[in-house]
Order: sequence, then structure tokens, then C-alpha cells
Amino acid sequence: MAIAYAHESTADQRRANRTRAVEGRTVLCRVRRCDGPGKAGRWESFKVPVEPGMNVIACLKHIAQNPVTVDGNTTTPVVYDAGCLEEVCGACTMLINGMARQSCSCLIDEYAPLEGDTITLEPMTKFPVIRDLWVDRARLFQSLTRVKAWVPIDGTYALGAGPKESPEVQQDRYDMSECMSCGCCLEACPQFTIEPDEASWDTSFIGAHAISQARLFNGHATGKELKNDRLDELMNPGGVSECGNAQNCVKVCPKGVPLTESIATIGRQVTIRSFTRFFSGK
Amino acid sequence: MTATDGPRQSHHLLLRRLHSLSGLVPIGVFLIFHLTTNASVVWGAANTRMPGEGLERGVQTFQHEVSWINDMPGLLLIELSLWLAIGFHSILGVVYAVGGKPNVGAYKYPDNWRYTLQRLTGYVGIFFIFYHVATLRWGWSFLVPGGTVWSHEYAASTLAAALRGSYEGFTGAGIAVSIGYFLGVTCLVFHFANGLWTSAITWGLTVSEKAQKRWGMVCAGLGVGLMGAAWMALIGFLLTDPVDARALEEGMLSGAHEVQAEQDEGAIGSAEPGREP
Ligand code: SF4
Ligand code: SF4
Ligand code: FES
Repeated sequence: MAIAYAHESTADQRRANRTRAVEGRTVLCRVRRCDGPGKAGRWESFKVPVEPGMNVIACLKHIAQNPVTVDGNTTTPVVYDAGCLEEVCGACTMLINGMARQSCSCLIDEYAPLEGDTITLEPMTKFPVIRDLWVDRARLFQSLTRVKAWVPIDGTYALGAGPKESPEVQQDRYDMSECMSCGCCLEACPQFTIEPDEASWDTSFIGAHAISQARLFNGHATGKELKNDRLDELMNPGGVSECGNAQNCVKVCPKGVPLTESIATIGRQVTIRSFTRFFSGK
Repeated sequence: MTATDGPRQSHHLLLRRLHSLSGLVPIGVFLIFHLTTNASVVWGAANTRMPGEGLERGVQTFQHEVSWINDMPGLLLIELSLWLAIGFHSILGVVYAVGGKPNVGAYKYPDNWRYTLQRLTGYVGIFFIFYHVATLRWGWSFLVPGGTVWSHEYAASTLAAALRGSYEGFTGAGIAVSIGYFLGVTCLVFHFANGLWTSAITWGLTVSEKAQKRWGMVCAGLGVGLMGAAWMALIGFLLTDPVDARALEEGMLSGAHEVQAEQDEGAIGSAEPGREP
């Protein structure tokens, strides 16, 4: 059976796949391997017996116990990154059947429900590969420092209680606060391209996640203090105007972060900020 | 932020926003007027002030509109600012477009297609506008099959001849030009409607997803309307026989002189009765 790539498969299809998953089946796990930064990649396939409710990480663990390919070659265990194993840290993000998502929350039943089905694993393409499926997301975090995605409370004396937050604002900000820095939105973005030269990270596209975090902290009663700094950075090359409105980011975000609304909100804040700067010089 | 950030950021954002703005005003506004004027060859059929019937009225209405535009004060200034705006929007557009890497192969969302099409239609639009302006405005007739030179006194007939490839009838090259026009205007209308939609996000007018959807309906509606006007005009001109249209335009020219002559009470107007075409 031809397997629908994740982006073609709707949530309904995935649910349907789960109900028709064959028990006791063996699937083919096709993995993009790479021995280190700058090294050429290669494909390796492994046969994996599937247990009910098995996820991709469990699949990789099974391979690690006996790393022999379908061709009978003994190889090394597949290297990958993971942390929480419950889709909150974002570390385990990789391309599963061509689309970025978390390997810890991705069930084999949803993608390879039948005997002999193939599930394909590749590293994300917008970040440098460290090894196999493990990539270096440093640029993603550097973007967050560019927009000062934090609340400034460090000081030499106690600042006392913070300002009150209304429930409405809290509710608005909650969706944004769920971002786990996974990088799916960057992987899917046509405007975010891989940038191996670290020196240019300050001027290359900052990415939807950072724009959304800037909105999150601009909306915080104390975080507001850095609002102008954040907007100034987002007016720089690589800032919000680099977005081309393809809106892939919001569709692939596993946490449902309202990225396009954030992009438009920051667009509005930047519009106002630039007029203020033009007319008041500040 | 260090002091050196100042010029860097003001230029960056300013250029981006001017790029967005120039697409709306003057280019977009001009596009709306241009397409509705063109479509007058069809909607002019309902213009009872013109003699004849059907397309005959259309041809004359179109000629009337073109003459009116040609008599506009400061026309050259308007034209120059348009050319500047189009040049600016095109050059920056290409610079911005080459920075992205379309990925509709992997992410087949309709919005992602929109993003990719916006860039493709931009490229097509640049070629089309250049050909269109060069041939019909700057008189580069060597690029027109049959060598027709567009004239604003014989607006419909020369345009019809340029689209057909000759005054006598359709030629292969003429059909190619007509198809080119169809593709060109279709691309530009899409580019404008989609640009109008995304500009509202860029400037921060439509923030919520609902607002973006609502504005999307407005832009789609405008796009469909403009597309209708563009296609209608093209069909109208393709159905216009250049020779017949020419006769109508001649009639209008001498008619205009008669009116002029009446107004001048025969003083100067009668000095040039039988004007050569
Ligand atoms: S916004 Fe969504 S896709 Fe992007 S990093 Fe955060 S959680 Fe991941
Ligand atoms: S909307 Fe902007 S940030 Fe999101 S995928 Fe498109 S170009 Fe990238
Ligand atoms: S391991 Fe943390 S999200 Fe998958």
C-alpha cells in the first residue's frame, strides 16, 4: 500500500489508520544516516516488529538493540535526540514521512498500519546535522535571545510583587506560551533557510517561533519593558518583514501556537513603532 | 540596541514596507482603473449615448475613455510615477523572492501554493508589463507581430490588430500574443488580490485568523471581479474587427472636430475639415 506522507494525511486519516493497524506486524523503518557534520548521508532500512501503541523512539530503541539492516549488514545504533518523551521539550523533532514532528508522540500505527509498510525518518533540513537524526538547533535559541524572549526581573534587590495580569490576557498568552522550541515551524517555512555560518544568524530570518515569543512577552505586564528592544530587533534584516505569509508554520506547529496571528500582531506593533520612531525620533 | 542599528533597521523595514505599499498604491489602484477601462469595450455596449449597437458602442466607449485619459492633466507625471513604482516593486520583489525556497513539494497546503504563486506570477508579471508597455506605449512595434503601432486615437482597432497579429485576421503569432495577454493579466490580477490580502497581515491590519479570513473573502471577491473585467476586455478586443473599429474611430475623430467646430462657431474648426487618418 502506498503510504500517505504526514502532510497528506489528515488527523482523520491517522485516526483511521490507528483503528485498522494490524497486530503483530513488521514494518520497514527507513532511516537517513550521517556519520557527522559535513559527511555524506546514506539510507539504511531496518525491519521492526511493531507492538501496539509503539512510537518512533521505541522503534529506534529496538533498532539499537540489534542494529542489523535489511541487507544483513551490522551497523551502529541510530543517533537521535530526545528529552521529555511526552511532546513538551521539542528535542526529538525529525522528519517523519517527510514532515517535521516529534518522534516521541508519533505512533507507528498512524503511519504504517499494515504489514510491510514503510516509515521514513530523516533529520530536519534547516539545522546542521550532528549525527543521524540529531540536529543542532542552536540558531533557534539564538533567535529567542535576539528578541529577548524573557521577563526582566534580575536585579540587586527584591522587586516586590509584579503587576496583575487579567484572565483575558492570560488566556491569550497561554497559547503562545506552549511553544516548546521544536523547530517544526522553521522546518516548514519557505523563508527560513539553513544558515551554516553562525556569523550571519543575527541578520538571517528569525523565524515564526521567535516572532510569537516576542508577542508573548510584549503582552506581559513586566515583559513589556523590553517591548521596544524586541520590536527594534524585529525591524532589522531577518526580522518580521522577512515572512512571506505562506502560513505553513501555523499548520505544522504541534502545539497549535497561533503563529500567523502573532506575525500579524507584531506586524502591527512594528508599524506603530516605526511611525513613532519616525515622528518622535525615539 | 547599539547606535549602529538605526540606519540598518530603518532602511530594511522602510524598503519592505514601501515595497508592500507601492504594490497597492499606485500600482494596484492603477490596475483597477486600467482593467475597468479596458472592459468598457464590453460594458460600453450598454452605453446608449454611443451610436450603433453591441461592440460598436463598446469600441466607441473605450475610445471615449482613452481620449479622456489622454486629456488628463499631468498625465506624464502619473505615468512616470507608475513606471518608477513598477520598477521599484519589481526589482525589490525579485530580490526578496530569490531569498525564499518554495517547498510546495513537501507542504502542499493551499496557502503554501499561494505563497509560491505570488512569486511566480510576479516574475511573469514583470515580463508581461515590460512587453505590454514597450509595445503599446513606447512603440516598440518590432515586438508586435504585424508591426502594429498602438495609437490612442485608434485605441480599439490598433489593439485588436496587435492581438490578432494583423488587420486582416488572426495569425499564429497573433494568437501567441493573445495567449500571452491572457496569462499576463491573469497572473497580475492574482498577484494583486493575493498581495492585497497579505499586505493586511504585513501591516498588522488583520490580526486574528477570523479577520484574515474575512479580509480574504473581500480580496477574493475583488480578485474575481477584476479577473472578470480582464477576461471580458480581452474577449471583447478579440471579437473586435480592427477594420470596422477603425471606421468607428474615424467617425469619432471627425465627429469630435464637428463638435469642436460648433463650439468654436466655425472660427477655427472649419479650417481642417477632411483630416487624413
Ligand atoms: S511555535 Fe510551534 S512549531 Fe514553532 S517551535 Fe514553537 S512549538 Fe515548535
Ligand atoms: S507565515 Fe511566514 S513564518 Fe510562517 S511559514 Fe510562512 S513565511 Fe514562514
Ligand atoms: S522527547 Fe521531548 S518532545 Fe519528544
